This record gives sequence, structure tokens and C-alpha cells, in this order.
Amino acid sequence: MKILIIEDDRDAASYLMTALDEAGHVTHHAGDGDTGYAMASSMDYDVLIVDRMLPRRDGLSIIESLRAENNKTPVLILSALGEVDDRVEGLRSGGDDYLTKPYAFSELLARIEVLARRSAPAEAATSYQVGDLSLDRLSRKVTRAEEDIQLQPREFRLLEYLMKHAGQVVTRTMLLENVWDYHFDPQTNVIDVHMSRLRSKIDRGQDNPLLHTIRGAGYMIRD
Amino acid sequence: MTDGNGPTTERARPRRLALWRTTTFRLTAIFVLIFVLFAVSLLGYIAYQSSILIQRQQLVDIERELGQLNREYQLGGTRALVLAIQRFARGPGPGIYFVADPSGVGIAGNVIDVPISVLEEPGQHTFAYERDRPSFGDEDPNRPEARGMALVRSFVLPSGYRVVVGRDIVERRSFAVIIFQAFFWGVIGIIVFSVIAGAISARRVLRRIDAIGATSRMIMTGDLGQRVPVTRRNDEFDGLATSLNAMLDRIEQLMQGMKDVTDNVAHDLKTPLTRMRNKVEAALRDDRDEDAAKRALESTIEECDHLIKTFNALLMIARVEAGTPASAFEQTDLSAVANDVGELYAPVLEDAGLDLKVEVPESLSLRANRELLGQALVNLLENAIKYVPRPDKGHSTVTIAAREAGENVILEVADQGPGIPEADRERVLERFVRLEKSRTEAGSGLGLSLVAAVAQLHKGRVEIDDNHPGAILRLILPRQTGETAA
Repeated sequence: MKILIIEDDRDAASYLMTALDEAGHVTHHAGDGDTGYAMASSMDYDVLIVDRMLPRRDGLSIIESLRAENNKTPVLILSALGEVDDRVEGLRSGGDDYLTKPYAFSELLARIEVLARRSAPAEAATSYQVGDLSLDRLSRKVTRAEEDIQLQPREFRLLEYLMKHAGQVVTRTMLLENVWDYHFDPQTNVIDVHMSRLRSKIDRGQDNPLLHTIRGAGYMIRD
Repeated sequence: MTDGNGPTTERARPRRLALWRTTTFRLTAIFVLIFVLFAVSLLGYIAYQSSILIQRQQLVDIERELGQLNREYQLGGTRALVLAIQRFARGPGPGIYFVADPSGVGIAGNVIDVPISVLEEPGQHTFAYERDRPSFGDEDPNRPEARGMALVRSFVLPSGYRVVVGRDIVERRSFAVIIFQAFFWGVIGIIVFSVIAGAISARRVLRRIDAIGATSRMIMTGDLGQRVPVTRRNDEFDGLATSLNAMLDRIEQLMQGMKDVTDNVAHDLKTPLTRMRNKVEAALRDDRDEDAAKRALESTIEECDHLIKTFNALLMIARVEAGTPASAFEQTDLSAVANDVGELYAPVLEDAGLDLKVEVPESLSLRANRELLGQALVNLLENAIKYVPRPDKGHSTVTIAAREAGENVILEVADQGPGIPEADRERVLERFVRLEKSRTEAGSGLGLSLVAAVAQLHKGRVEIDDNHPGAILRLILPRQTGETAA
């Protein structure tokens, strides 16, 4: 993936670039708002990582301008401000996701990979298939190897989200945000407990587990 | 600063405001000026009008006397006229009489001379005259002054004699002077009185304002405990002083909160930082064991994450306490929040050996910040998980309940754990407070502080009650929060 990082903190930017390089992505860097906007509007990127507070031009105005030019490149906003209002403001300006500093790199990586995929038009699928597990969004039926699996409504949404992002790492925070629509950090292992229940329903007694825990990052469903 | 109130300091301190610069004094001065202008123009008008009135009266008198003289002349000719004039001239009063022969030489009257122009031209004249005492009439000590101004009418008889009859107008003028003097002293009196009254009231105002100024200066020097004195008069200054004091209370409370937070942050964040530093240092010293170094790094990241969480919680409390903009308030279904969070936490509670009951109505809507309400409920549940021990036998239930109570909406979490001693109930809502027996438990001691801050943001409060056994933590929120906060 080709990623543009617009971030004025040199250390933070170079750390991000190194880490993303290691993860196999191509990164460009802009150190201020004007340069960032010029690069973002003149070149094709898969994802933009934009810091909110930048010299010369703030992050939100860059995003607004890009969106006004019909540039639909997914944007992840990075910010030291983490309150509900700031998040809402960020997303309203046209950002696709919002991450508060300090963040774990695994969280950022998981989010940009999901973002890059989101721009592909797989959005409207009515059913998902991972290995012998299938989920039908219309009839709300889940089957594994032809056998029906009974899920609670919330478990269904959890699985739906995981399968929509099959093959990608999904973090606990992403699950809390997308399945429960809350943006705080739960202090205990709340999500893990839900995941272990879901796992027991879909992977129990199977030779080939689909639901994987990615250490230090989150979860992934894959064949 | 310890004895720094009352009149002692007030006298010791130089006066900052001069009396004449106060608003009260200036207002008084302006009113006095307006009054004086008004009084002077009234005086002028009255003087003018009375002068006209008197002149008219004098002219009427003159006309009447002229008529009399005319009749005497008709009856007795020149001789009777001269006799009549002599009689008039001897009489007391302000009258002026003069008769001259055709050549203009005076033959009778009480003035020495009359200008020739007055004699030549019949009609109305004003001229300066001098009384003629020695030639006509007796010495009369009551006679008016010897010199003066006269208003006269003159006419020529068919025989060529000229008659002049008039009145002294100095008297008329002195009447105006008397009126003017009365007004003058009256106005002077009013000015003096108003200046004194203005000065007194300005002084009173000044004293009140100086008291406020003195208090604010003492506060600026760092004594936040000072308050503006409130009198029993209950006037606008007391109103102002009361609001100022309320503001000062709030500021002091915030400052105290800030200080507590700083102290606690220093303690509660330094400890894990020190621990982290020691660990990294130890790993650095022991450079043979790579696995150990890696483990140290991993645990350092864990400690870091924990610190970040504590920091985030602190920042969130600070932001919530400062009051987030009302734009984040929306119509929120408290029942849905309770159900969602309950469902999110049910498995965790179950793992901790606790049953969860959610007792909420179909829907319970209020204007609120949904995220913060959710967070508060999560904190209450995590509090229960932390402090309620796993039951050895039987059940221990945690209940989330929501209901309406008059103007308020109540959200409560009740557990069957050890409860919170009555003496500690205030304290547990403060930052970093963990009750002694739970000191060893993990946790930042910020959970309930955030709940309290969220309640405060919604203009509500937190109540802690006994569940016999256990604790009930109750969020009491006014229904119309959104409107009052907007």
C-alpha cells in the first residue's frame, strides 16, 4: 500500500515510516499542512494518515479540501485530542477513522488496513464466506459445514464485522466502536470474554479453527 | 495576611480612588449643574415678568395722576396746576413731578432739572434725575434717595407749559435685586447641600467598592480564602458581593481540585514510572539474557499502556469537569444505554461469579451525552467487579436499574458486596482514592471520580447508599439537562 503521513513531529513520523515499511507498505512523509495537501492532491495514495494539529494548515482543513475536490482517499486522523466532540468533528470533516495519541502501532496498522480495503467496493455484500463458515446478512443465518449455529444478535454483529474484514486484524477497540458503538477503552477484558463465547460457538469441535487471536493486536478470522 | 481583614488593613492601604472621580460624585455634580441652570433661568423669567408688571402698574399710576392734573388745569388753569404739582411733590412716595414754563424753566416739582429733550417731546422717557430738596418742600428723612432713574410721561399744555409726571424706577430694580438675592442664596444652599450629599453617598459607594478591591488584591496575593464582605442592607452591592463570593467559592474549589490532582498525579504516576525505570535499568545491566530483556520490554509496554489509560482517565475527568460543549448532548435513551452496557459486561460479570440483572423501563429518554453515560455505567460495573468478592456459595447479584423520579432520572448499580462505610462515601468519589483494603487491587482510583464528574456535567449528582448488604451507587440526573446546559 502507498501511504502518505502528514505529521510535523519528526520522531513520530520516522517511527511510523519505519514500522509501516517493515509491514510492507510504501510511505511518503509531509512535515506541514501545505506540503501535505499538495502531495495528497497530486499523487495517488491508498491511505492518508493526517495529524490534526499541523504547522501552516490544520489537518481537518486538508481533509475538507480534498473531499471538496472529490478525492475519496481514506483518511485516518491522528490526534492528541480524544474527546467525543473532537472525534465527531474529525469524522464530520470527512475523515474515515480517528485515532488518539498515544496509540499502539498494531492498532494503527489494523485500522489503515481496514480503511484501505474499505475503499474497494465489497461493501454491499449480502453474505460472507470464510472457509466452511458462512453468514447470510439477510436471513441472519450462520452455518458452519452445513450446520446451523445459533447466535445472539450481538454475537451475530460481532461475527459479521469480523467476516467483513476477514484476513485482517481487528482490534478490541475497533470491535467496541463498530459493534457496540462506544468509543472508550474498557478497563477489563470485556471484548475477550465476548470473543471466547463466539469462538466456542463457531470453532468448538472443529479441526480447523477460524477465529485467531493475534497477540498484542487483536483478532482475525481467516481460513 | 492572618489578621488581614476589617478596618485595620483598610486604613493601612492607600486609597486608590479619589472622591471626586467616583461616578456617584460626578452624577451629583451633573444634577446640581442642571438644577442651577434651571433655577437661574426661572429666576430670570420671574424677574423679567415682575419688572414688566411693576412698570405697567407705574404707567397706570402716572396716567391717573396726569388725568388729575389735567382736571385741575381745566378747572383752575395754570395756577391750579402748579399748586397741585407742589402738593404732589411734597407728598411721600416715589412720585416725580415737574412743571416748566413755555421757555423750559422749571417752576415747580421735586427734581432739579429735566433734560430739554424730555420737555420738547411729549411722551414716555427714562432719564437720570436729582431730587430738589432745598427749593421745594420740607426736609423729609423718609424721602427716597436724591438721585435715581425716572420713568416719566411729559406733555405740553395748550398754554405752552410743560408737565412731567413719573416714577422712580430704582425701587423697581431693587425689588428684582431682592428676588435675585433670594434665588442666589437658595441656589448656593442647594449646591452646598448637594455637594455634601454627593460626597457622602460617593464615599459610601467608594467604601463598598474599596472593600471589594481590597478583597481582590488580597486574593491576588494568594489568599484564596478571602471573601467580599456582605452587609445586611441587601442592596445591589450585596447582590454583587454575593455573586462574586459564589464565583470565588467555585474558583477556590477548582484550585483545590487542581492542587489535589497535581499531588495525586505526582504520587500515582511517579510510582509506576519509577517501577518502569528500575525494570529497564535492570534489563540493561543484565545484557547476557536476551529473553529477560525482551520480557522487561514487554512489561514496560504494559506499564506504559496502564499509565496512558490513567492519563486518559485523568484528562477525561478534567475535560468533563470543565464542561464539554452542550453540542455533545443529544436525546439519549437511558434504557438502551443500560441494556447495551449490561449486555457488554454480562459475560465479564459472570466470569467474576456475579449475576447481572437489568431492571429498566421500555425507554427512558433524557438529554445527555450518551458516550459519557455509557462510560459512567461501565465504571460503576467495573467498580463492582473489582470490589465484590467471588461468592463462595449461592449468588451475588449486580443490578443495573433505571427509573424516573419526579424531575430526575435515576441510574443505579447495586451490588451485594462489602458495601462502602458511611464515613468513606464522600471520599471515594475523589480522584485516586482507593479504600485501604482495596489498595492492593489493580486500578487507578479514578473510576468513581469520572462518574461524579459525569453527574456534575449533567447537573446531577452521585449518591451512595446501603444495599443491605452491599452498595448502591446512584446517578441522579435532571431530565432537562440539555436545555439548561445549552
